[in-house]
Amino acid sequence: MMTIATVYRPTSGDIYVFGRSVTTHGDEVRRYIGIAFQEPKALWVDKVHELLMWHARVVGYSKQRAREVVKDVMETLGIWEYRNKMISELSGGNKKKVELAKVFIQRPKLAIFDEPTAQLDVVTKHMVWNMIKELRKAGSTIIVATNDMSEAEQLSDRIAIIYKGRLKAVGTPEYLKDTIPGGDIIEVMFEGSISTPLLETLSRELQARKINKDTNVIKIYVNKGEEKLAKAIDIFTRNNIKIRKILMKEPTLDDVFFYYTGATLEATQ
Amino acid sequence: MMSLIGRGTIVIALRDLQRFWKYRWWLAGLISMNLTDLFIFALIFNNIVNRSYIPDYFRFIAPGIAAIAIFASAFSIGREVGVEVRRQYTQYLLTLPITRLQLAAGRIIGGSVRGLIYQIPFIALLFIIEGVPPSWKIPYLLATSVLLTIAMSGLSITISTAVRSFDLQATMRSFTYFLLFFFSNVFYPDKLIREYLPYPLYQLMVNNPVSLAAGVYRWVFTDNLFVDIDPQLSIIKIAVISVVITLIGGKLYLRNLTS
Repeated sequence: MMTIATVYRPTSGDIYVFGRSVTTHGDEVRRYIGIAFQEPKALWVDKVHELLMWHARVVGYSKQRAREVVKDVMETLGIWEYRNKMISELSGGNKKKVELAKVFIQRPKLAIFDEPTAQLDVVTKHMVWNMIKELRKAGSTIIVATNDMSEAEQLSDRIAIIYKGRLKAVGTPEYLKDTIPGGDIIEVMFEGSISTPLLETLSRELQARKINKDTNVIKIYVNKGEEKLAKAIDIFTRNNIKIRKILMKEPTLDDVFFYYTGATLEATQ
Repeated sequence: MMSLIGRGTIVIALRDLQRFWKYRWWLAGLISMNLTDLFIFALIFNNIVNRSYIPDYFRFIAPGIAAIAIFASAFSIGREVGVEVRRQYTQYLLTLPITRLQLAAGRIIGGSVRGLIYQIPFIALLFIIEGVPPSWKIPYLLATSVLLTIAMSGLSITISTAVRSFDLQATMRSFTYFLLFFFSNVFYPDKLIREYLPYPLYQLMVNNPVSLAAGVYRWVFTDNLFVDIDPQLSIIKIAVISVVITLIGGKLYLRNLTS
């Protein structure tokens, strides 16, 4: 994202924003983009209103228009009352709102949001989502970086899954869910431990496409899950593994993430 | 040229000036400190230094302190750029819809104007001590001040962005500051420096931009009482130094921030 925003030069290859290379036409690219950073970018001595007014002026508003737009966005985000406060006096959530306000004021052709709702309460989170959707409706292209899969599902037409710096999958949310082999997931929460031979048995007898195992949870990716649910219970019972909970579900974007990245909680811990 | 002095340059420079205004009480303290320095130095050294070298130390050092003041203030922009780099605030500046050239020019112009504003009380003091210089000398005074501030802003910005480590930045900035401050003719006349130091070092000291500026100020306010210089040559030298430092500084600023 920093490279799209022309902060850093690409180490190899190039990025084109509306047909303009970030390497050779950075000045032009910057006319199209606006970015809300994950960590708010402001100096402690900046006051909220003057910071946003300066931003509005630098992105091209006249003084009068800047006053109107800044007030409007600040009121919507609920930070108008803090207009004369220094950035250092604000809570983490309000600092985040100030950072987001920059993009909502600018209304760029390409708006980039890095973790837009981190540190925000639930109500504000939904309000920010609505503001982002509104921006999209008005014609802006939106790029959102997030660890929150529900946020990705809410805001995205296309999702790219990046894990440890590598692109693992890209597509619409529906496409990504459909591409998980097996289609259904049997999720079993159990007590005790599962041996490797048992894993092999599960895989063979259920014709599983993939199995992800964490400490006390196992996810089995199968076709026609409803037919294999009973068999799964039978295998666990035969092997004296106590089932605490078993459920069958369609994949969520979290499942998509786990599937494509191969990440497990065990490995993370 | 139009793109260099475009809207982007102006908004960036204005932002630096706004910030300068925020620190006005701190600046007032700093100006008082510099003025106090001037009086203390003058009081102590006036009765110590050999009168054959310096007939009146107060009148000798006052123009030098004016040069130091402008240098110190313009140099302060580098400290702010350093803080911005450390807090990654520069990432925000780099995404704004302005050209890189405008960004660098805006910073240097902002720093320069700050230096000029800071110098006002010192120049005013010189006007009080020495009287108003002849009007034909005023352009020399202005040109020297403008060129010195540009050179010093460029230099301090270069240092602040040359290395990633904040500690190293601060060390390099302090080192350069003291080098320019003490290896100058602000406190000692050229003749004395020539007598006591090896010739190459003498050359370096008298061609230090702070020394060149102090020389011009002395000439503007006291004619040839303390100096024997060609003011035009001194201004050309400051201009050359200023252009070289600004070009290198601007290029390094942009290269280092985006690499």
